[in-house]
Amino acid sequence: MAVPRRYSGSRFALALLILTSVTLISLDARGYAPVSNLRKAGIVIVQPFRSLAHIVFSPVGDIWESFSNGDELERENTLLRRQLDELLSYRIANEGAVNDLEALRTQLGLQGLGGQETVVAEVTAGSVSNFDPYVLEINKGTQSGIREGMPVISTGGLIGRIENPGLRDSRVRLITDPTVNIGVLAIGTKEIGILTGNGVDQPMRVIDGIPIGAPVEVGSILVTSGLDRSPYPEGFAVGSVVEVVPDEVNLEKELLVEPTGEMDNLDFVTVVLYQPPDME
Amino acid sequence: MGVAVIKNGIVLLFLLLLQLELFSSMRFFGVMPELLLASAIAAGWYGGPTSGAIVGFSSGLFYDFYLATPLGLNALTYAIVGYLLGQIAVFLSDEAEWIIRITISVSAVTVGLVLFVTFGELIAEPNLYNQNFGKILVISSLYTGLLMVPIHFMMAWAFGASRVTPAGFDRGLR
Repeated sequence: MAVPRRYSGSRFALALLILTSVTLISLDARGYAPVSNLRKAGIVIVQPFRSLAHIVFSPVGDIWESFSNGDELERENTLLRRQLDELLSYRIANEGAVNDLEALRTQLGLQGLGGQETVVAEVTAGSVSNFDPYVLEINKGTQSGIREGMPVISTGGLIGRIENPGLRDSRVRLITDPTVNIGVLAIGTKEIGILTGNGVDQPMRVIDGIPIGAPVEVGSILVTSGLDRSPYPEGFAVGSVVEVVPDEVNLEKELLVEPTGEMDNLDFVTVVLYQPPDME
Repeated sequence: MGVAVIKNGIVLLFLLLLQLELFSSMRFFGVMPELLLASAIAAGWYGGPTSGAIVGFSSGLFYDFYLATPLGLNALTYAIVGYLLGQIAVFLSDEAEWIIRITISVSAVTVGLVLFVTFGELIAEPNLYNQNFGKILVISSLYTGLLMVPIHFMMAWAFGASRVTPAGFDRGLR
């Protein structure tokens, strides 16, 4: 019976640690500021070591990615070459498209980026968890004017929003996250729907809001609607429709949407310093 | 006691940096190993249930700083896993073969991941249980298992269990 006597205090220690953990979880879930500050302090303390580790380990990670993604990069390269050829072929025909788009935006009363201040940030890491692949880390935070919920864009359009900004770094929640909903407007129509993320490498979906007779087809571009209490300003390209699934029962269309914003192999992103009127 | 705390701190910091800066990009089929969970397991092995729980809580809390899940979720999971491994280790011989240690450790990683997702679901945390859960469970457990030997060595050093027996370290638990 020596062993149980020797470890009799371990149950008490475990109970204490469980109680502490549950308390932390509860307080953090309620947004209790000291717990958020504890998290931020922890990150700040480790940051110098992490920066050093980044310098040491990133070449190894890059080599690994070049080996593991070699085939994918080759396919992507071939696809890009083909797209470049097509673009060059149609360049002359489409020279007027920019003017057309600008006219359309004016007609719809959509804003461009011109009216918003932006901050360019470097992507320092992708997800560091097995269970949450929908995040990026960037190297700018509240010190650069970044605040919770601000939209983040890359080449092509909206890719996410700021979550839990620190002093010098922030997390970006990607729009492919199934918990993210965005009010969108189909360009050239007045149809508004709710776009929902659908997971990594899966097209996003607009399930409700688009009537079956609406002129929204494959290739239609969806932009942020900016309506109601939307955290996004209006007029940011979000995705293009790749498939339309008619729902004869509800007389609506389900849209499958590919993001227009580049999300893979990102080095830099742009944070739009926009806050909805009720958050300013 | 003080030396052991410092050594454990060094090991945990090193594993945290490896997790964040190296293995987050060195993924198999999109899945990475769970080094900090492994540290809790190895701490239970070499330090017993109390040390396993404390090191597990600390490593989980370190990891929680960088995740979108509520602070304390990993700490809770890892503390329990570290404690359980400590309880199991008390009844295992110091001469237990490495294959047994690694098998138990890999099983503990699986249990830890299941516990983490279960606790997450209980507090309605999104994204934890998804269509990739099975894949994550299998690949992460095996991937972590591959790295268990060096982590066992690090934790053995941290707990001062440096006398090597034919099968492994003398943990000093008896």
